[in-house]
Amino acid sequence: MSSAMERALDVAPKAVRPSLRARAIPPLAVAAGLVALFAMAADLGLSPGALAAGAGKLGRFLATMLPPSDGGDLMRIVRALGETFAMAFAGTVLAALAALPLGVVGAKSVVAQPALHFGFRRALDIFRGVPALVWALIFVAAFGLGPFGGVLALAIADVPGLAKLYAEAIENADEKPIEGLRAAGAAPPVMLRYGLLPQVAPVMASQTLFYLESNFRHAAVLGIVGAGGIGFELEERIRIFAFDEVAFIVILYVACVAALDLVSQRVRARLA
Amino acid sequence: MTDVANGGAVAAFEQERRRVLRRRRAEALVGLLAFSALLLLALQRSQFFGADIGGDPLGRIATFLGRMIPDLKAEVLLEDKHARGSIAWWYYDLPLWLRAGWQTVEMAVLATAIGAVAATFAGFACARNLMPLAPVRFAVRRLLEFLRTLPDLIVALILVSAFGIGPLPGVITLAISTFASLGKLFAEVNEEVDSRPLEALEASGAGLARKIRYGVLPQVLPNYASYALLRLEGNMAAAAALGIVGAGGIGIELQRAITYTEFDTYLAILLLIVGMIFLIDITSERIRHSLIGLEAAR
Repeated sequence: MSSAMERALDVAPKAVRPSLRARAIPPLAVAAGLVALFAMAADLGLSPGALAAGAGKLGRFLATMLPPSDGGDLMRIVRALGETFAMAFAGTVLAALAALPLGVVGAKSVVAQPALHFGFRRALDIFRGVPALVWALIFVAAFGLGPFGGVLALAIADVPGLAKLYAEAIENADEKPIEGLRAAGAAPPVMLRYGLLPQVAPVMASQTLFYLESNFRHAAVLGIVGAGGIGFELEERIRIFAFDEVAFIVILYVACVAALDLVSQRVRARLA
Repeated sequence: MTDVANGGAVAAFEQERRRVLRRRRAEALVGLLAFSALLLLALQRSQFFGADIGGDPLGRIATFLGRMIPDLKAEVLLEDKHARGSIAWWYYDLPLWLRAGWQTVEMAVLATAIGAVAATFAGFACARNLMPLAPVRFAVRRLLEFLRTLPDLIVALILVSAFGIGPLPGVITLAISTFASLGKLFAEVNEEVDSRPLEALEASGAGLARKIRYGVLPQVLPNYASYALLRLEGNMAAAAALGIVGAGGIGIELQRAITYTEFDTYLAILLLIVGMIFLIDITSERIRHSLIGLEAAR
């Protein structure tokens, strides 16, 4: 054995000759993980046969997507896109209005009691996970077909996340300008207007714009449960296998999403 | 003399300040007007005014909330499901829902695993420091970008019509979106690795596979795992929603509750979903924090 090897063995025996246990654990863990995954796949009834059968069908669908076609309904599609944007916009504004007071209450610098603060933030976390589609399904059932239920669903789904971000913006605000105003004898409303608002308003506005982008991107789901907009047009065409029109709408929609992202990025850059 | 000069400077400053303030106010006014017009138009388009939700909207909301809240009675609260007003009566199909909920968990886990493995390959194929062929990097990056722009639910609808109703289209949809988002994140992690271990391996004559195994993976795996777990949390919620379009899991039960207008059942299942998401979040948060701890200890 070379002397370098001996020295290495001397300095770090475990690195050169790992124990049997250290060598056995990683492959065993990987094997156990694989077994668990295969068991789950079997439990869900996923089989290569089903995959192959579906893949053939999917291939035929994809082939009929070319060339994309508007199906002679361009005006209707554009109007539906407009409606989807309207829902996203109205939903985001409503969510922001509802999230503002919740954000103030959720800020540690406003409600300092730790148990209350923790409980409130946890509650927001819990409801942050519920997707808009889940709200949309029940609101459309309750308020009838149409965009109204969709807007409410988007708003409700956004409130917990926005409230959390607003609360963090308020917590991160610098105390010093407020203290300065207090020292100069300013009344509380003046303190908020000149001490806090200039710090938090740009942050909040830019986060709200993020939510607007994401809402427009996801507002298509609302049409699927009957809230109208582009999702409805898409679902209708998928049901009748008109995939050339589906491709056309998806391309147009993705382009509109990208355009909104661009505009909102500009506005956010100006705010910062 | 100097007083007059100062006075002139002050006056000029005041004038300039007034001009700037006026311009700012005008900008704010225009912005506010444009915003209000857009908001009004948006509310009008989404049928907020004259929405056809019956003559008495507040009353409708109240009735709806009333129908959502189960009619529980304190005296029979803990009896079996045949007693009207007990918790078991409210959750009358609990075993079935738990089964569907477990299916949702399985869908999320499988999709995250498949997506993460595929994303690992993509992450190596488009990392500037590991993939020497520029065209491959370009192609993989564009593919990931394209897949990220596709709305999930639309993909799910198309896949449901190809693969039929069941968990398979749901798993594929989530795996695609996981692949697309993790691929980009993994590539970024790869590009930030310390290059010194790689150079040492290269100097001692290691090939590409050994370089990745001993030089890159030990550095990136904790980050990969932490991103994948974050994604698992998101996939859990998404899988619950996908069921609504027929892609398997608990969402199908939600859809069924709506079809039979059992709003109180809807609330029961919704609470179940919220609880499940919460459990997954907590578990994954624990693991992520211990991974970060490992990272810091290294």
